[in-house]
Amino acid sequence: MASTEKTARPRVAVAKFASCDGCQLTLLNLEEQLIEIVSRYDIVEFPEATSRHQPGPYDVVFVEGSISAPEHLEQIKALRKQARLLVTIGACATSGGIQALRNWADHDAFRAAVYEHPEWIESLATATPVSEHVKVDAELRGCPIDAGQLLEVLTAVLVGRRPQIREEAVCRECKRKGIVCIVVARGEACMGPITAAGCGALCPSYGRGCYGCFGARTGVNAKAWSEAMQATGRPPEEVWRLFAGFTAYSEPFRPIITELGKSKR
Amino acid sequence: MISDSIPRPASAARQLFLARSDFDALIGALRASGRTVIGPTIRDGAIVYDEIESAAMLPSGMGDEQSAGRYRLTDRGDSRLFGYTVGPTSWKRFTFPPQLNIAEARRAGGVAFDQPPVEVPQLAFLGVRACEIAALAVQDRVFLGGQFTDEDFRARRKAALVVAVQCTTYSSTCFCSSMGTGPAVRGGYDILLTEIEDGFVVQVGSPSGAAIVTQLPTRKPTHAETGAAIDSVEAVRAGLGEPLPMAGVDERLKQQLENPRWGVVADRCVECGNCTMACPTCFCTASVERSDMEGRLSVTERIWDSCFDVNFARVAGGDFRARPRDRYRQWLTHKFSSWMDQFGSFGCVGCGRCIAWCPVAIDVREELEAIAPVVPPMERPIAVEPAAASPGAFSLARLASVKEETVDTTTLTLMDLDPAFLAARPGQFVMVALPGFPTVPISISRIGTTSIELSIRAVGATSTALTSLHPGSRLGLRGPLGTFWPIEDAYGRHAVVVAGGVGLAPLRGLVEALIASRDKFESVTLYYGARTPEDRLFRDDLARWTTIKAIDLAVTVDRAGVDWKGRVGVVTALFDMMTQDCSRVTAYVVGPERMMQASVQSLIAKGVPPDRICVSMERHMECGIGLCGHCQTGPFFVCKDGPVFRLSELGDLYVREGV
Amino acid sequence: MDENASVISMLDHTWFGSELAPETQEKLASLGSIMSFRPEEVILHEGEESIEFGILLSGRLALRTLVPERGPVTILSVEPGDVFGWSAILPEATAHSTVVATEPSKALVIDGTTLRAALKSDHGLAAGLYPRVLQAVARRLRATRLQLLDLFT
Repeated sequence: MASTEKTARPRVAVAKFASCDGCQLTLLNLEEQLIEIVSRYDIVEFPEATSRHQPGPYDVVFVEGSISAPEHLEQIKALRKQARLLVTIGACATSGGIQALRNWADHDAFRAAVYEHPEWIESLATATPVSEHVKVDAELRGCPIDAGQLLEVLTAVLVGRRPQIREEAVCRECKRKGIVCIVVARGEACMGPITAAGCGALCPSYGRGCYGCFGARTGVNAKAWSEAMQATGRPPEEVWRLFAGFTAYSEPFRPIITELGKSKR
Repeated sequence: MISDSIPRPASAARQLFLARSDFDALIGALRASGRTVIGPTIRDGAIVYDEIESAAMLPSGMGDEQSAGRYRLTDRGDSRLFGYTVGPTSWKRFTFPPQLNIAEARRAGGVAFDQPPVEVPQLAFLGVRACEIAALAVQDRVFLGGQFTDEDFRARRKAALVVAVQCTTYSSTCFCSSMGTGPAVRGGYDILLTEIEDGFVVQVGSPSGAAIVTQLPTRKPTHAETGAAIDSVEAVRAGLGEPLPMAGVDERLKQQLENPRWGVVADRCVECGNCTMACPTCFCTASVERSDMEGRLSVTERIWDSCFDVNFARVAGGDFRARPRDRYRQWLTHKFSSWMDQFGSFGCVGCGRCIAWCPVAIDVREELEAIAPVVPPMERPIAVEPAAASPGAFSLARLASVKEETVDTTTLTLMDLDPAFLAARPGQFVMVALPGFPTVPISISRIGTTSIELSIRAVGATSTALTSLHPGSRLGLRGPLGTFWPIEDAYGRHAVVVAGGVGLAPLRGLVEALIASRDKFESVTLYYGARTPEDRLFRDDLARWTTIKAIDLAVTVDRAGVDWKGRVGVVTALFDMMTQDCSRVTAYVVGPERMMQASVQSLIAKGVPPDRICVSMERHMECGIGLCGHCQTGPFFVCKDGPVFRLSELGDLYVREGV
Repeated sequence: MDENASVISMLDHTWFGSELAPETQEKLASLGSIMSFRPEEVILHEGEESIEFGILLSGRLALRTLVPERGPVTILSVEPGDVFGWSAILPEATAHSTVVATEPSKALVIDGTTLRAALKSDHGLAAGLYPRVLQAVARRLRATRLQLLDLFT
């Protein structure tokens, strides 16, 4: 299906920092659409998928992973200069990921406990989201990201519109699907009310509370949720555990974790 | 069935009885007529509305227990099929789907827009409650009652047969009787069922309903059975108790748009939108474009949206509702106030879903009570009819003694009075007449056993003449008039009296009454501000009060000479010293109006509830009995409805200019 | 250090001091000293150039100004918890009114020059102190506006 447009296909690169690769794989898992994607986009740099390797500039760069090592600081800045659009994908790139839990801990002590020669391990004391270092044009949250949302971003870039990523709670997806709320009907823990939607309420659809892997909705009143959970009898340690997960370093979550962390020993 | 059917009066000839064991016949008949039956069934710990193929799928013997943020199924221990109230789904799921493709756009050669044909399934809604029938009627008004209509909704409404069920139980979250939508079903159905011990009393509501019911193995109900049906609905009404005072809440909310409580509830709200999703009448939607990668074929999907969405009111230039409190206020005021202006009814039907399914347990009934309560009017004088209560009539009194309080204020002690004056209460006033002078209102500053005292500041002709009278003179009085300080408002609380200048006069009696029954209050405090030390009123009383334990006193003056060792500064600065929990303070404030406003604002900012702040207003009065018209402020006659008001009664009238 | 601890505790009980961060309270306590004043003792003279910043801990002070036809007039009293001499923070510091104790009083007093130098070099102290001083001045400004209206005429 040859394109009738005269413009060249957008050049796409996929870059990886500290991450598990799961988000990159989401692109490859779009099996039905992969052929069309590859025909409409020129994927020039994607170590996970191809040995093709071309330097920038790129039209779209998908960045996975948190900034966790000293060399990342330079690499991300250099990458930003090469990218017309920089899209972060996944919890690590958008909020620091689960490795950001070390931001509250004694990094040196961890290093010494794990490695026989900690002095050989070059690592930053914090794992931070990409947006703390460079300007980000669009964000896909999730651990891993949702294939539908990724497709929406790819489509939006081609069509020339803003990606329609809704900033709503997981609860809205649950209610639209007719999933019975496990908080209200079973008194179970769930981070849905303060977590961004996009996964289609995946975990609640299996009767399990939301892990919060898409991170805090922008500007959400996370404190109110922490207080509401404690008001129903959950001990601070348990609430801490719910917040200190894949997206612990989401801005609205941070002060909650710091505060609750004081009560756990 | 569209709800323009006329509710049919219950008539024994139209009622039938269907045994519970024959219920499958109803489901069978509905299905045989080509309809998919949607009814209550258990899924994941709740009773939801979904496809039902037989009576076995109904939640037989199940009940529910609901409260704010909590829903649990219970075992009733019987075999009733409808022994519960409403669950998380509402019928709007089927009349107004959560996701619906509404347009297709093509871009190939030119641009074309198509609307997908309206194709709706034939459904039967089994188990529709009174509040839900009301909700369907609300949706009818929203989608079909105006200039622009939603034809998809119309088709779905028309294609759904309504089998209503009378509620024979209720939850703590139900408040249909408060919204006037239940508990009894009064129309809007094709078939109505009332569940009793062994089965159902059946009523037909339309030809479509009749067509189904004639196929069922029914018989005529016995007297006992129809009686039991009526009784069970009545029991629900009785169990729901006194309805909440919702009448007029739409108007009251309009006066409370700046109420600080919006901030308080917004601090608890996480804006998850569960309330708007669960609500059977919320209708806001968003359009999402789903296109192919070329943008040649695009489908517009309409999905349920929520006004709590952070981008709901955003435009390129900014956000019209940027704060959570703005969005919460929008939802509640739309549902209970502006909906009335838009559609002629409340948006809320009292089903209670927003209360049960709110994960932080916000209860809209509590919020409405806090933000827009019905404020009882000030008490009218009960024990005493005023003397000389008609224009031109006056009751004589003798001036027994005169005391100069300050350079311009004098206290007159009056005796030989009509007993009515001795039964006056602190806060009331009298109209005072002196031959040749205009009649003026004066506060009573003390009520004794044989005398009353009036403390008068000489500012005009009459007051100057009064303060120059000699003992033995006679003058004319009308009264006691007006409302009095509600001392009970401070029972068990911290009583705080704030007086500015001559404002201490109408408050002195209150202070004495507070001291006299001191054990009824947590604490008693007087804050008094005067212009200079020489302008302080009642210095003997002030000196006495300083020494007694029953009252805490703080006095301040605007300026002073070097002999004054006390406080110099505004009276509001005295509040800064308040250590009481302000939510448990009852305040009584009198002074020049600008001082009262500043004091009241400061008290409210510190957390004193507006219905626990009383003020006394001064206005031009010529008769004191509501006939000369001069003292009107907003809807009030200050002489009759005041002069003492609770701040919550006045609303923003208090700070409006030129009223 | 014990002395400092009791000063900090007194400071913490005042309106002004209770909202200051512990580090700021410590710094103020170490910069200043507790002084006691007798009734009618003058703490600051109107027009005086070298002035001190003070937080009143107990007692009462009167702010007085001389009105030629009327003699000295007290325009404001300073209650426990309030500050006086806040203009010591500003570079051209002069006292705007005379500050006199009207009853036995105790205050935490900091020399103006010392305080200005400390605020310049210690940004943490500046960040902790300036907002609170601004609040105190704003509060007084609002009160003064009401006083200006001379409502009790």
